Amino acid sequence: MTGPASDDAGAAGPLEIGFQPDRRERATWTSDLTVAEAAAVRRVGMVPAGFVMGTAVMQLAAAGGQLYGQWGGLAGQSWGSGSGYSETFPCAHTYGTGIGFGASVGAAQEHYGFSMEDALLAASLAEGYRLAIERLHDEATQIGAHGVVGVDLFFENLVGSQGTATFFARGTAVAHPGTPSLPSPFLTNASGQHFERLIALGYVPTGLAVGVGSVYVQPNCQARGDFTVPGVNRQIPSAIGVARSRARESLAATAHGSGEGVVNTEWTDRRVNRYGESWDQLTIAVGTAVRRYSTEAPPITPRPVLPLRP
Amino acid sequence: MSARTPTEPGIATALAALRQPFVAGDQPTFLSDLTVGELVLLEEIGYRPVDIVSGAGSASWNPQFTTAATEGNMWGRAIATAIDNARSGILEELRSHRADGVVAMKFELEREHANLLTCTMLGTAVHGADRRAGSAQPFATTLSARDFHLLVRAGYHPVGIVIGVSVVGFAARSASQSLGLSRDNVELSDQTTALYSAREKAMEMMEREAAELHADGVVEVQLQERPVNALLTHAVEFIAVGTAVCRGPDGHRDLGPEFQLTLEDPPDTTFSDR
Repeated sequence: MTGPASDDAGAAGPLEIGFQPDRRERATWTSDLTVAEAAAVRRVGMVPAGFVMGTAVMQLAAAGGQLYGQWGGLAGQSWGSGSGYSETFPCAHTYGTGIGFGASVGAAQEHYGFSMEDALLAASLAEGYRLAIERLHDEATQIGAHGVVGVDLFFENLVGSQGTATFFARGTAVAHPGTPSLPSPFLTNASGQHFERLIALGYVPTGLAVGVGSVYVQPNCQARGDFTVPGVNRQIPSAIGVARSRARESLAATAHGSGEGVVNTEWTDRRVNRYGESWDQLTIAVGTAVRRYSTEAPPITPRPVLPLRP
Repeated sequence: MSARTPTEPGIATALAALRQPFVAGDQPTFLSDLTVGELVLLEEIGYRPVDIVSGAGSASWNPQFTTAATEGNMWGRAIATAIDNARSGILEELRSHRADGVVAMKFELEREHANLLTCTMLGTAVHGADRRAGSAQPFATTLSARDFHLLVRAGYHPVGIVIGVSVVGFAARSASQSLGLSRDNVELSDQTTALYSAREKAMEMMEREAAELHADGVVEVQLQERPVNALLTHAVEFIAVGTAVCRGPDGHRDLGPEFQLTLEDPPDTTFSDR
């Protein structure tokens, strides 16, 4: 059953498209666990409670080239209103002149480059993830689950779809029979087997941790691979380094209030939003915040085996 | 029903802990891209995650006129510099975290425009409980957590990533040669020689790097051979990357593996495109 439509059709005010949680009367539980995962969850003492999902469709904001243009405001070492990273990478061409034709004041900068943090894009993505996770969490709470395992968190349609992205969070809610509900069910992107190992190791998952970092890159001649100016280029490694640092910082920040650390981080570096030769260097990290609940876990010493294959 | 102590491991204790508010200690939040299985393997040999660390390097070269009997010095140096800068970057991050090393690292080489290479490294920095105070230099390794676990249990420890890079040109066949040889089975000796030469130079460089680290040997050497044939460029690129290791004071320890015959069939994939 879906949520009831409002009878108050004539009421004034803005249209509200609220989140409609799953209100089905569940006849049985569903799950996207494999059989082996389900067995691992049962060994821990939990049972599947239902397949849960959170979704959000977002219009993504991105500063990058649209906001600043390719040539605007390049006089200084940094620009923009925020305190985020920005750096210019002058054209490396000197055309053999002593004074450096390409680098002289007022001369045409054939392949001037710059990089700047794209906090708008990072915030858009973080918000999409947040909404999807929150809705997944709400569904799990509604069916009285103690947690959700194997959460798959991803988005689609970022490239080539006019800046929209659909965020998904999917997983299987699990419950511990006979135990009262938790104030907030735990979430983890670990599989059923990894969840079992985590509990055995003395850690309990608390929630998902997400980190996003983005740097807009307008490459200079060296970063474009111009063979007439070969050598070390700093622009690409700097952009990767800053995007990764930001993702790392926000990953730690989201986990800090709930656990000692983050494990099982799925790390993605990619180039998106290509405008001509420029791009957004994007880093996304999704992991599980964990908390140590026991220091008395027995050591797990794996026995080396050598399979004899037919 | 046995009474459980408050910290006895198990799901009931774990859920009880979640009812209590979390109080952050004075330790910074650790980050890791290890799976839980990898975390178990590292904790078992006394290593704990500290943070995710990364390094990146990028360089370009002019590939033109790298042909017969020429060695692509600038080309080879550019590739080595890109990898070396990524390695230096990750080691610098390890030092700033006072970590002992980085494991389960993702090592990637990305090529663009045929003459631009970017090397990225990313992994989990770890602290080892048994690391000796004298071993001040952090190590980087391309080994997975599983292989690192096995290496340490076997009595060795990694001391660093070592690389070897070489680019060697070879003669292009003229049109008449191509036509003349097309009906014969003959070895293209120039190209065979170039491959040998590139391999020898790269492995010499790798061995030199390992010797500088006072390593006993190099494990898990991975090779990338890439012929490049363009209008004015005929060369072979050879890149070797491995982990230099040292034997510990107790020498080699036999892991004594148990032979196993699995009765399982391969897993069936109902939805293979998933």
